[in-house]
Amino acid sequence: MKTFNLPDLGEGLPDAEIVRWLVKEGDTVAVDQPMVEMETAKAVVEVPSPYAGTITKLNGQAGDVIQVGASLVEFDGDSSSSASQQEAQATPPATENATTSAAPASTSQGASEVFKLPDLGEGLPDAEVVRWLVSEGDSVTVDQPMVEMETAKAVVEVPSPVAGTISKLHGQAGDVIQVGAPLVTFGGGSASTTQAAPSEAPAEEASSDAGTVVGAVEVGNTIVAESANSVVKALARKLKVDLTQVKGTGTDGAITQADVKAAAKSGNAVASSASAAAVVAGTDTANPLSYKASPAVRALARRLGVDLGQCQASGRKGSITRSDVENAAQGRSTASANVASSQARPSNSSSSTSSPSTSSGGNRLPSVSITREPQTVRGVRRAMAQGMAHSHATVVPTTLVEDVNISAWPKGTDSLARYIRALCYASRIEPALNAWFDGENMERLLHPNVNVGIAVDTADGLYVPVVHNADQMSMTESRAQVQVLRDKIANKGIKPADLADATITLSNFGSIAGRYGTPVVSPPQVAILGTGRFRNELQLTDKGIVNQKMLPLSLTFDHRACTGGEAARFLAAIMEDLSKAQ
Amino acid sequence: MPAITLIEAVNMAMAHEMGVDNSVVALGEDVGTNGGVFRATDGLQKKFGKDRVIDTPLAESMIAGVSVGMAAQGIKPIAEIQFMGFIFPAVDQIICHMARMRHRTRGRITLPLVLRAPFGGGIHAPEHHSESTEAIFAHIPGLKVVIPSNPSRAYGLMLAAIRDPDPVIFLEPKRVYRIVKHEVEDNGEDYPLGCCFVDREGTDITLISWGAMLHETNMAADKLAAEGISCEVIDVATVSPLDIETILESVAKTGRAVIVQEAPKAGSLGSEIAAEIAEKGIFNLLAPIGRVSGYDTIMPYYRLEKQYMPTVDRILEEVRKTVEYS
Repeated sequence: MKTFNLPDLGEGLPDAEIVRWLVKEGDTVAVDQPMVEMETAKAVVEVPSPYAGTITKLNGQAGDVIQVGASLVEFDGDSSSSASQQEAQATPPATENATTSAAPASTSQGASEVFKLPDLGEGLPDAEVVRWLVSEGDSVTVDQPMVEMETAKAVVEVPSPVAGTISKLHGQAGDVIQVGAPLVTFGGGSASTTQAAPSEAPAEEASSDAGTVVGAVEVGNTIVAESANSVVKALARKLKVDLTQVKGTGTDGAITQADVKAAAKSGNAVASSASAAAVVAGTDTANPLSYKASPAVRALARRLGVDLGQCQASGRKGSITRSDVENAAQGRSTASANVASSQARPSNSSSSTSSPSTSSGGNRLPSVSITREPQTVRGVRRAMAQGMAHSHATVVPTTLVEDVNISAWPKGTDSLARYIRALCYASRIEPALNAWFDGENMERLLHPNVNVGIAVDTADGLYVPVVHNADQMSMTESRAQVQVLRDKIANKGIKPADLADATITLSNFGSIAGRYGTPVVSPPQVAILGTGRFRNELQLTDKGIVNQKMLPLSLTFDHRACTGGEAARFLAAIMEDLSKAQ
Repeated sequence: MPAITLIEAVNMAMAHEMGVDNSVVALGEDVGTNGGVFRATDGLQKKFGKDRVIDTPLAESMIAGVSVGMAAQGIKPIAEIQFMGFIFPAVDQIICHMARMRHRTRGRITLPLVLRAPFGGGIHAPEHHSESTEAIFAHIPGLKVVIPSNPSRAYGLMLAAIRDPDPVIFLEPKRVYRIVKHEVEDNGEDYPLGCCFVDREGTDITLISWGAMLHETNMAADKLAAEGISCEVIDVATVSPLDIETILESVAKTGRAVIVQEAPKAGSLGSEIAAEIAEKGIFNLLAPIGRVSGYDTIMPYYRLEKQYMPTVDRILEEVRKTVEYS
């Protein structure tokens, strides 16, 4: 036999009334087939069957109130459970007639109280005991965590709803407890906050009964004194009574509301309407509230170092305006200038000027205020900002750094031409870095030719002109092409075609300064080589300690497109080419 | 003098006025036999009978409509809306009739009624039980909106609300229904409506709050006093019509203001108070007006309720920010 107990129909309501049975004893029902309409304090709800099987008994009839957790329907033994582990012993089968009065275990009227696992959220049917935080015999306070329960969603601490002594913990770690099944039994003497014992002393009756509401109203017993004075003052203000002229008749001569009302009636102690304003119009010049000014004006005065006391108040209702502060600031600087020139005049009137900077009388320098407006970023600088942001948003950059020994270079070697040649050579050895990559469509294009973009620094911003087919050029040709491009930039004659289709980029920041860097790959390209400033370094070689010329290299590659091995092989190829004498 | 809670003070005031004025009646869902779900009307039906303490069906529109009708005929109803979240079916009656009757009849008919509703969050209640929608009613001309913050004020302001010749929406902060007790003498002395109460005098900053949040505000003021920041604390009490004069006077004295409310921020009562201060008191401001409020979102269910409710720490942070502003 299986027993189906009335589950919580929502919002933690304690019971529900049977409106209408939808099945009869002896009926065969399917899982989720509605069996009965129940009415809670909130709504009428259809209760579906958790099992497929034959109904042997319906507990209660229309109009009966069934406690949550009490037996509602019994099924025959052959019914195949589809839903839950909830066996009959989860709730005591002591509910012979399942009406209100006969559900002893479900409410707190007796000496002990059973706390049932509440819905821990989102309507999940059960939860697993993770760890008990209390043991049987412990005393707990309201809201003290008793147990950690794990639902399908989260681990939740279940707090105690009452203060009292725990007489029994139902289940142990690892047990799955159904919502609505007993979790903790409290021994006698527990004082519930939500549903207090119906009567203790008659005098306390009203305060111990917190009502019939779902929820928990915090209860305190602290007695606090009302600030009667604030009420009397408020009334006096309302009735326009000056309290200083009212004689108090309360305890210790305190003024009562009745005194204020009497004074208002007799009209003896009428407060002048100015008294309210008197509070404001202070004379303490150290108090910023002695002056009326908006926060913006106060901020301006702070910025210009102007004392509000030195300002005229030409604004509405005697307030200090922005121009009052500005006038005070100007007046002060002209005043100090006048002082300066008048001091200078007696000694040498011909050379005196009104400029305070020429004064010699120990005057302080006047303050200078300069306004700088932000300027719109346009053109090449704007393109750089957008390009860099795009790169930052898409590329997965990795930078390799290395030094290459270029001591073998003859005097007068054109370093830029060597860099271009090295890039072309390395691109042949390791084509993966001379490529374009499209991360959105997951496509890669390995270029047969090498178009080297050269980062060029100008006052307008960053240009990257492109030496197309650099791999087909001699060093002289590529060097000449770079010069052509530079001249075009200088003459504002650079064409979009000159800036397009780079397959790899070179940034020779070392011509200015910088040893290593993290150059930014410009998509769809996948690599950029940064060449740093070369330096002399003493190295221990088989010829003894020798001065060597070292060129720092920084290679950034897009790790979406290239492997670290490819990049390292590429860098090695560059070093191989650069270390050659010619 | 008995020490009583806020909810008991509401009960005491109703019982007092029903005792001295036979035209006062109470009605609402579960107010009779049950004594009100929070026990606001506990014992009243036993004392004054079923004719004066009336259990109504679950029909808020009818409760408000019947109250309008009763009040128009000289009865003084105290109607309970069980939770403020259930007031909305009654809004047509409240806004279109209750608030306008005096105006509509050119002063010939006034409605001496009180519409009580527990409101606000923090009691782990289900949906619709935790909102703070006082601004909706404060926005309607013709309604007074009163929110007591402690037992004495609940008693004094409830008496004043019943005695007022016009409709009063009396919103009870249910989270603090039982949080502290006051010794309240059942002497029938009412408190003035339309007044803010300056509960704590200070010089550095004015904290403005009402209802349950006044508890957090006062706790914050205590902590700030230990840091040397002197707070003036104002209980707005009557949120409509607003006693802005008292607030402006205080801000003129302190130069700074922080408003603390449980309701969401946008379009709230705090917005109105901030606007009034900016409009009429801006020259006295040393810092921008600060606001601590609930968030502009649906009030979450109880598991996230604590995350929603303004805390003492949030008030401290806002006050420090405002005081340190330069």
